[in-house]
Parts: sequence; structure tokens; C-alpha cells
Amino acid sequence: MLAIADNFFAQFALPVGFEIHPGKLNARYRKLQAEVHPDRFAAAGEAQRLQAIQLSSHLNEAYETLKSPLRRAGYLLRLRGIDVEQVAQSDLAPELLFEQMELRESLADLPEDESAFDQLHELNRKAANRLAERQGQFVQAFAGNRLEEARKLFHELQFLHKFQMEIHKKEESLESVADF
Amino acid sequence: MSLLQISEPGGGAARQAIHRRAAGIDLGTTNSLIATAVGGEVRTLADACGGHLLPSAVHYGAAGVLAVGAAAKARATADPGNVIVSAKRALGKSLGELQAGGNFRPYRFDAGKGEAAPAFATAAGPKDPVQVSATILSALARRCREETGEELAGAVITVPAYFNDAQRQQTRHAAELAGVEVLRLLNEPTAAAVAYGLDRGEQGNIIVFDLGGGTFDVSLLSLRKGVFEVLATGGDTALGGDDFDQAVADWLIAQSGAEAVAAPDWPALLQVANRARERLGDADQAEVAWRGWRGALDAAQFTEIAAPLVRRTILSCRRVMRDAGMDTGAIDHVLLVGGATRMPVIRGAVAKFFGREPLADIDPDRVVAMGAGIQAEVLIGNQPAGDFLLLDVNPLSLGVETMGELVEKIIRRNTAIPVAKSQEFTTFKDGQTAMALHVVQGERELVGECRSLARFTLGGIPPMVAGAAKVKVTFQVDADGLLSVSAEEASTGSKAEVQVKPSFGLDSGQVEQMLRDSRDRARDDMQARALGEARLDATRLMDAISGAIEEDGEILSAAEQGDIDQALAELREAMEEDDSARIEELTRQLNQVSEAFAARRMDLAAGAALCGESIDTLDREAG
Repeated sequence: MLAIADNFFAQFALPVGFEIHPGKLNARYRKLQAEVHPDRFAAAGEAQRLQAIQLSSHLNEAYETLKSPLRRAGYLLRLRGIDVEQVAQSDLAPELLFEQMELRESLADLPEDESAFDQLHELNRKAANRLAERQGQFVQAFAGNRLEEARKLFHELQFLHKFQMEIHKKEESLESVADF
Repeated sequence: MSLLQISEPGGGAARQAIHRRAAGIDLGTTNSLIATAVGGEVRTLADACGGHLLPSAVHYGAAGVLAVGAAAKARATADPGNVIVSAKRALGKSLGELQAGGNFRPYRFDAGKGEAAPAFATAAGPKDPVQVSATILSALARRCREETGEELAGAVITVPAYFNDAQRQQTRHAAELAGVEVLRLLNEPTAAAVAYGLDRGEQGNIIVFDLGGGTFDVSLLSLRKGVFEVLATGGDTALGGDDFDQAVADWLIAQSGAEAVAAPDWPALLQVANRARERLGDADQAEVAWRGWRGALDAAQFTEIAAPLVRRTILSCRRVMRDAGMDTGAIDHVLLVGGATRMPVIRGAVAKFFGREPLADIDPDRVVAMGAGIQAEVLIGNQPAGDFLLLDVNPLSLGVETMGELVEKIIRRNTAIPVAKSQEFTTFKDGQTAMALHVVQGERELVGECRSLARFTLGGIPPMVAGAAKVKVTFQVDADGLLSVSAEEASTGSKAEVQVKPSFGLDSGQVEQMLRDSRDRARDDMQARALGEARLDATRLMDAISGAIEEDGEILSAAEQGDIDQALAELREAMEEDDSARIEELTRQLNQVSEAFAARRMDLAAGAALCGESIDTLDREAG
């Protein structure tokens, strides 16, 4: 049976760090799931089936954490003993708060019809660019062991990610009324 | 007939070693199928008339189930209220949901069992969707038994990927009720990909577009080295070919200027609509006649009628692509599943959206059952698992209600399963000693817009100021997509948990009752069969002995004759009663007292053979 490793990176024999090889992560995840998945124990006893569910759940959690850049960043901080659950206003510089407000307002001000699609795509592009930029900064801060800076960047990444979700939601609600 | 025929110990034929017969069952809204390995290849089984599809229809009369399948469907027009079709659409629904929207005409629902357990009101009494589904599953299991000569040891039953927890639970309950052991509930689109993937070794990103009779699913799967990973799923539990029939029927009513259509007339009208729609599959125009009105439906008109429904399917496709963060350009294959994908309007819209022609090489009606059959072979151990594995996702977000009737999502949709996730919550008031947890499923932010799955209370929290207690709530979803929730208070270790049962439909007590009922029935059936077999064995033995005495009575001693006569009389008397054990006992006794007589007759027969009797006679005697 699978041994639970010290951390999610080690579980997939990957070095601890933000940059990971997605192909390797995916291949190792699939290989390990093939060994522990409950379907492999469909005819086995109750205890073995329960263990399979636990191990398989653990692998899924590890995989989903490492697969998403945002969650991976948060996990790296947590491994360094930094609590990313708590976020205070002071964690974000005033100009960043202002930038966030601006983005939110532009989303709220979109017209409720098809003409909004172009603006929505523009907003999405903007958010994606900023996300990439902040991610680069996070990688540098984390590698340079500037953890407090990395934590603030992480919260910005969180905001931008959430903002993208809101864009998607808006897109969905527009699609349901628009014709295409 | 000879004595030797029944002198076998134990009585009855020796049982064969049990082979692990596994099957895949596509429990469909309109039609159901069963697939199993025949000669090393998984294929769907046909009924005596050669039909592979078992219409998901059950006809009820005062005496109970009158017919299942085609025979039941054929009565839909004559006895509409008592022929239950599309029961799958009613799984997991509340009485209010069943009565709203006219989706379930012409049925009446039984209000007597209440909001929580709605049932169709039939001539045989209230029949809920679980019972109807169980009857269909039993019919399929019987077909499998008759075709293969083996009892079904386990089955993979497919469900729409979009099925919520209540619907999955009820599908499982239906199987339990039918005595079918569920190896796994498998999402239908995944099953289709299994059928395609293993048959042809396809690799890459696959869209499975499944438009059945009553449900629509779209799934994005990635297949690499035998491992399927479901990246995202979406769809609509209330959209299918039936809705296209309904739209055509509404059009017909408008065109013909007919008055409101009475409930009993709907099946006939829907059949007219369905025929017209199916004819448009290969013709540009379909003649339609309804209540003296004659007209034609052409492809352009149908495209217009169908447009809102087609659009809903494409919206779901968009959402799935977005959830997976993938562009349609990255899709390698598009598979069509479900009879309704034969419609040219659907094929056209799908091809346009994904920018490639969809595959439909495997019969879209059978492909799901075949995939499930392949998976069943693997799970039961008849086939080595090899690299083949399905990694599924949770189709709908799961969460708990928080203050302000908001939903805190704990497991988001499209999370790989099995999965366990925890979150900490705290008390709202000073001195609060209990916490009410409300588990919901859905994508919306407000509790009222999500489906309620369960409520339970965690007590025993020590009085503390608001916000000081720490309650860890854990959601666990197993590989079937079924949820259990537990809550634990950190300082005291006080714990509460719930295995989520459908909050609409049956509660566990009702399911138990139904199971008990069906087990009791099964026991009655077994007793009746045992009695029948005992009587048959006894009759055979008595006939044989009477015949033998008539032929060779002169070789019996007076004492032997007396014993046999007495045993015969006792057995005859016991035959008047319904005690199968007593009949068996007396049969054994009769057999015993006549053994010596039987042996002497055999010697006689052998002697006769030596005297020139034909071997044929000997064989016949020896039976």
C-alpha cells in the first residue's frame, strides 16, 4: 500500500518549489491512483475499501493542490509555517486596494446585453496579465526567502483569481440571455 | 419412468459452480439496456423478439405489475395513467416538483405518502420512482439470467454525470430492491468513452455529448494510457429527446387550433410528435395528422422549434470548456451518445461549436451499456484491471448553510473523487451549545436556490463566547459520488455525522421497509418454489413405484408390500398439506423402503438384457 509522504511534492517525487513539471505531476498521479483507487478494491473487504478511499482522497487532494498555481503557492507558504487563511486589510497596499475596486466596478458597470462580451474579454485579458505578472513576483519573492512579501503577493493572486471567477459567472449569465 | 430416476441423494439437480456473471446496465429514461460478456466480448442482450432496448415502461393493474418494456409501452395510449414511462426523471424529486411544469402529465401523484415520498398513483396503488426503476432492473437481470444461464453477481449501473446525490442514492435503492448488487455507479458519458476508448485505443481529450430521452450530459474527459480522467462535467437533468417531442406537440396544438389537450390524450399526441421528429432525421419534411388536422413539419420549422433546446445544450458545452479552462481547439474527439443525437439539428450544432465532426460509429443507444459492461467485467475480477482506471469528478458543488442563508462550498464541482475536505466553523452566539448543520448541493450562493441534502445537529459544545468554539466539518465523497458529512468540536471531541440520504424521496426507514417487503416477498416465492419442487419429486416417485409394482409386483414380499403401501399412503396425505419439509421427508422414506425392490428390478433388467433384450431398453430403464 501507498505510504503517505511528508508533503504533497514528495508524494509525487517532485522537488519542493513553485515551478513544477505538469507532465510528471500528472503521470505520477495517475500511476499512484491506479494502485490505490477504490475501484481496485471493489471486491475486497470493508477495511481495505475504506483504506482505498482514504488513500485515493489523499492523492486527489495532493494533486489538486499542486495542479493549481494559486493553491500551490498557498501550500508552499503553509509548508513554511505561514497562515494564509487570515488576511488583514493591512496586508494589501492602498494602491492595490484601489486597483481591485476599479476592476470590480468595471465588472459591475457592464451592460446587460451582448455588447458586454467584448469588454468582458478585455477585462479577462487584463486580469490574466496581472495574474501572470504577480505570479512571477511571487516566485522570486519565495525563492529569495522574502516570505512576508510572498504572502502579500499570494493574497493578490487570490483576489485576481476570484475576480476571474466573477468574470466567468458574468459571462455565463450573459450567454444565457444572448443569442449565438 | 423408472425408480432409478429419482433415487439420487439430496433430491434435485446438483448445482453448477457459480461463475461471477457481471453486467453493465444503462437504466435510461426512455429505454434501458443490459450488456455482458458473451464469448469474450461485451455486447448488449436482446429479448426473445431480438430487441436490445427495453422501453423503461411499467404497466400497473389492480393485481400489480402487468407488463414491463415494450408490452407496457404499447398500452400507454390505452391506459395512460397506469403505464409509467420516464420514471427516471422523477427520481429524487419532491411532490411539488413533480406536479409543477406539466413535465409529468398524464400522471397523478399520490399525495397520501406526502411531500417527502411522492409516488405515481396507479391501479396497483402508489408506486414511487424507485419501485418503478427496480421493476425495470429486475426485468433486465432476468433477461441476463435467461440469456447466460447464470445469476447476475454484480452490475455497473450508469447514471447521468449530472445526477445529484438524491438521484444517485435512489438509483442504488432501486438496485437493492431488485436484488442487483451494485459494483459501481458510473457516469454515462464516462461509460461511453470506455466503450470507444478500449475498442479503438483512442487517446486525447474527449467530449461526450449525451442527449438521451430525458437527460442531457456533457463531459470532458482526458484519456491517457488507459486512465480516464474526467476534467469537467455539465448538463441538465431535465432536458432530453422528450422535450423535443413536447415542443413539437405544442407546435401541433397551436397549428391545429386544438382545444386544451386532456391528460389521457397526451401519450398519443407525443407519439405523433415523436414519429414526426424521427422522420425528419432522414427526410426534409414529415406529414403529421392529429385529430382530423393534417399538415407537414419541415426541417426549417423543426430547427426553429428546437432552437431554444439546442441552445441549452450548447450553453452547457461552453460551461464545461470554461470549467476545464480549455479551448475547443484542444478537443480531439467528440462522441455522440443517446438516441436524440440522431437529430441533424443536434449533430450540426455540436459540429459547429466544437469545430469538428462528432463520432457516432457505435450505436448511440447501446454505447453506454457496453462501456458499463466492460467496466463491470473489470470490477468483478473477470478481466484483469491492467492500466484501466476511471478517475471521476464530483459534478455539483457541496456545501453547508452559514449565517444569512448563504452557502459555504466545501467541495467544489469538478473536484476529483473520492475526496475528503474539512473546514472549521464557529458558534454565532455566546453560550451556544449546539450547531445545526444544513448540507446543500448546487452552484448558487443562496441556500434557497440549492438543493437541500440533509440537516443534522452537533450537540455537546461547551458554553463559550461566540466565535471561540471550533467545529470541524468534514465532507467525504466516495468513488460513486455519494456523500457523508461529519462534524467535530475540537475541545470536547463531541461528534455527529450523517450519511446523506435524499431529503426528497425516501428516507432510510422507508427504504428499509421496502427492502423488508421485497425480502418477505422473495421468501414467500422461495417457499412456494420449494413446495412445488417437493410435490413434483414426490409425484414422480409415487408414479414410478406404482408403475413398477404393476410390472414386477410379484418379486415383492408381503412385508415389503406393506411398508411401501404405508409410506405411499402417508406421502399422499402429506401432499394435501403445504409443508414442503414433511413431503420431502416422506419422499425419502418411501425411497428408502423401496430401495431393495429397485435393486432387484435392476438385476431383473440386467438379466433380461443378457437374454437378448435390446440395449435401448436397458438405457431407458436406467434413466
